[in-house]
Amino acid sequence: MDKPELTSRLKAIITTYAQETDALAHLTEETDFIKDLKINSANLVDIVLDVEEEFGIEIDNDSMSRMLTVGAAIEIIEAKLAANDRE
Amino acid sequence: MIGNDLVDLQQAGKDSNWNRKGFMEKVFTGSEQFLINSASQPAQMVWLLWSMKEAAYKIHTRDTKLRSFAPTAIQCNNLVLHENTASGEILYEAELYYTQTEINSNYIHTIAAQNLEQLQQIKVFIDHYDPSNTDYRNKNPDCVSHHGRYLALVFI
Repeated sequence: MDKPELTSRLKAIITTYAQETDALAHLTEETDFIKDLKINSANLVDIVLDVEEEFGIEIDNDSMSRMLTVGAAIEIIEAKLAANDRE
Repeated sequence: MIGNDLVDLQQAGKDSNWNRKGFMEKVFTGSEQFLINSASQPAQMVWLLWSMKEAAYKIHTRDTKLRSFAPTAIQCNNLVLHENTASGEILYEAELYYTQTEINSNYIHTIAAQNLEQLQQIKVFIDHYDPSNTDYRNKNPDCVSHHGRYLALVFI
């Protein structure tokens, strides 16, 4: 999966929970789920679960603890997909 | 330093499905899951433990300036639950926090501090939340939490 496709599938998930439509329209890798998109922390758990389902990966607690920005999420998804491919 | 967290139960019921597969394991430790599964009101226990974790996390991040999303690493211990109140402790990265919670049919509000003396000195102010009104900032609260219909300020 290339990065634009991965990013657009991630954005579709984020859109469900984001409260700030402006920040959502101008999504960058630096966009912070809580500070910029005003996603509440319970819904951050939903994003992690949605990502697991959408990409067929498992996000361990250590990875989840770093999943605070769009860029961090992309990096984690890419790493988990690469690990799946190696299996 | 002190912290607080308010959960509007109506809002939480609308926004979050904690029964969703995988949710519990991502948020709660084994002993917390046991508390939830054996509670007479599981939803109330979910948001009680959640607000304890959040209130302590706020103190911790202001202290360390480090952000991390690791709810299972923020552990609730020694919970004592009464009808309208609860007290407990949080252990997070070897730091201990004490919590006191108010529970009613509308919201759950937890205050947290690093020692019991400070916890008892906390003054709580809860009001209806109006997003267009930011006057509360002039009161210089030590911590603020708003969720759904409510705004909670705490002072030391």
